[in-house]
Amino acid sequence: MTQALVNGLTLGAVYALVALGYSMVYGILGMINFAHGEIYMLGAFHGILALAFAQHYLANFSPVVCLLGALVLAMLFCGGYGFTLERIAYRPLRHAPVLSPLISAIGMSFLLQNYVMVAQGSGIRGFPMEFGRRLTETRFSAFAGAEFSLLEVFILATSLLCMAGLHLYIYRSKMGKAMRATSQDRRMASLLGVDVDRVISATFIAGSALAAVAGVMVSMYVHAVKFNDGYIMGMKAFTAAVLGGIGNIPGAMLGGVLLGVVENIGIWFLGAGYKDAYSFIVLLLVLIVLPRGILGEQVSDKV
Amino acid sequence: MNITWRGFSGFVFVAALAFAAACGPKGGAGAIRLGVAGPMTGDQAAFGEEVLYGASLAAEEWNERGGVLGKRIKIVKRDDQAKPDQATQAAYELVSEGVAGVIGHFNSGCTIPASEVYHQNNVPMLTPSATNPDITDRKYANIFRVCGRDDDQGRTAAEYAVKTLKVKKVAVLHDRTPYGAGLTDQFKRNIEKSLGAKAIVYYDGFDDKEKFFDPYLQEIKKKDPDLLYFGGIYHQAGPLTVKARELGLRAAVMFGDGVINEQYIESAKEAAEGAYVTFGPDPEKIPAAKGFLEKYRKTYQKPAGAYSIYAYEAANILLASIARAKGTDGKAVSEEIRRSPHESSIGTIRFDGKGDIQGSYYVMWQVRNGKFAALQ
Repeated sequence: MTQALVNGLTLGAVYALVALGYSMVYGILGMINFAHGEIYMLGAFHGILALAFAQHYLANFSPVVCLLGALVLAMLFCGGYGFTLERIAYRPLRHAPVLSPLISAIGMSFLLQNYVMVAQGSGIRGFPMEFGRRLTETRFSAFAGAEFSLLEVFILATSLLCMAGLHLYIYRSKMGKAMRATSQDRRMASLLGVDVDRVISATFIAGSALAAVAGVMVSMYVHAVKFNDGYIMGMKAFTAAVLGGIGNIPGAMLGGVLLGVVENIGIWFLGAGYKDAYSFIVLLLVLIVLPRGILGEQVSDKV
Repeated sequence: MNITWRGFSGFVFVAALAFAAACGPKGGAGAIRLGVAGPMTGDQAAFGEEVLYGASLAAEEWNERGGVLGKRIKIVKRDDQAKPDQATQAAYELVSEGVAGVIGHFNSGCTIPASEVYHQNNVPMLTPSATNPDITDRKYANIFRVCGRDDDQGRTAAEYAVKTLKVKKVAVLHDRTPYGAGLTDQFKRNIEKSLGAKAIVYYDGFDDKEKFFDPYLQEIKKKDPDLLYFGGIYHQAGPLTVKARELGLRAAVMFGDGVINEQYIESAKEAAEGAYVTFGPDPEKIPAAKGFLEKYRKTYQKPAGAYSIYAYEAANILLASIARAKGTDGKAVSEEIRRSPHESSIGTIRFDGKGDIQGSYYVMWQVRNGKFAALQ
């Protein structure tokens, strides 16, 4: 049970990071960015590529510095991808019917997947474990026979740090204030002098950077990444966002953690056979009682 | 005037068609089409590629010798993405393309539904790799395999585990596909027969897209088994092995023939060392196979995959049988495939009444110094 909780929290924190991207975009644009899972996968690839580069050319650097460098690099690149994605696939369709950006999102998802497949091959790419060895090999035993590694602590801590950072960004910075204003009423915000296009770009960049962090950490945790990994993670994170109340930021965090914990406790309790069913059963039950998700009520009027 | 114009354009259209038809034979209408189906994209693309290359090499060699029955061989490739629904789709497409026979599919889960299509349309099919017993147990006259069966494979693995490794406690995982679940079922049955039901300390299956193995491996670690047996494909086996070692599992690991690909070693790196895999005999040790292996390396600039030679010989058997049947009638070709012993670079191949190859097949392999090496 404790072990299932530890695994669930680790996985849930990652789901939450990716779910935030879905929720932020939905909160501001009212659309679902189905290419977000691909950004996560690109993050994993860029992290691994950066580390492979470090392995060859920066062998004398400490692994921790390299790892953090790879994280930052992946965030930068994915921020760029998110920005470009919005610019070429969504901005021209800003005033089109609701379905058009959705189709465009699915198209971008295929495009990015195939881009990685052509550029990096369709096989699995291993994570250069030299950089994560200290993290995976330092292990702690908790009470009730549970066991966790420094890597799990690292994933949890980094996720919390990112979420705290995002919270500060949204509630303390000027751009964050503009984001909140835009999500309440886009036209009113623009009338009051908020540059809505810039706000939307910033939303995409922030969401994509968080997905990149998740991508690098998961590829380190599971030791591998593949061009189509974004799809499943995207689905899970989207579920988490809906579970917590899509458009709501604390909701996305809560939804992600809940989803991870439910999955792992389900496996521990009932076996792996219906792993994906557990999360969807919980989603169903929650949506029957709270149709807008757990924390979704307040947002209902906003979008 | 109007009518004349229409008549003229009609004449041009017919003339264009006739011209296209006249160009046809060189383009392929008069060629014998050979279908190759497998996972050309997706998780298992490496397997699809080695099968396609193996079969293509056979077709090229026949073409150099003047083709079959005076016609050129043309490879028609179809991607099933290792998904059963795509496999049936691919099968219908191949049938409507008029292929004389099919090399594939790769996965058991794909071969079983696809072979129904080939059976209904009387198209001979030879799989170089699909090992689930159901494929040939239905006794379809036109369905063959140039590889072993999972009941044989499961028994070989269990015997090796019990007699050579002297295991007492075994944990078993599978990927819930007909291949993975079918194979582990056979393995489990044989272990239980010789060690009793208690020897299986853990048995579970996860989705074939699963990436998070921690929950299963942590449970397994608590049971402290001597052996971890996984029925699945290399794209999961690699990360699974790394994770098992990372969690401090000391058990030996053993897999079926779905793991025998360089990608397994590339993804698991030093954690792969010592892993056991059941597969056919090593072609590198068969003198007759040397020519093929060298030619493959030269043609494709990479060493042959484990399944390349089986795809190559399956294509050879099919094309030779078409030549002997003096036509591409599915029934006659299937009879020819079944009738004759086929001399091949991996030894003489004889099919039994079901379409399986006769004789024992599996040997134990182990990863040693970053390479798969046959132990016998």
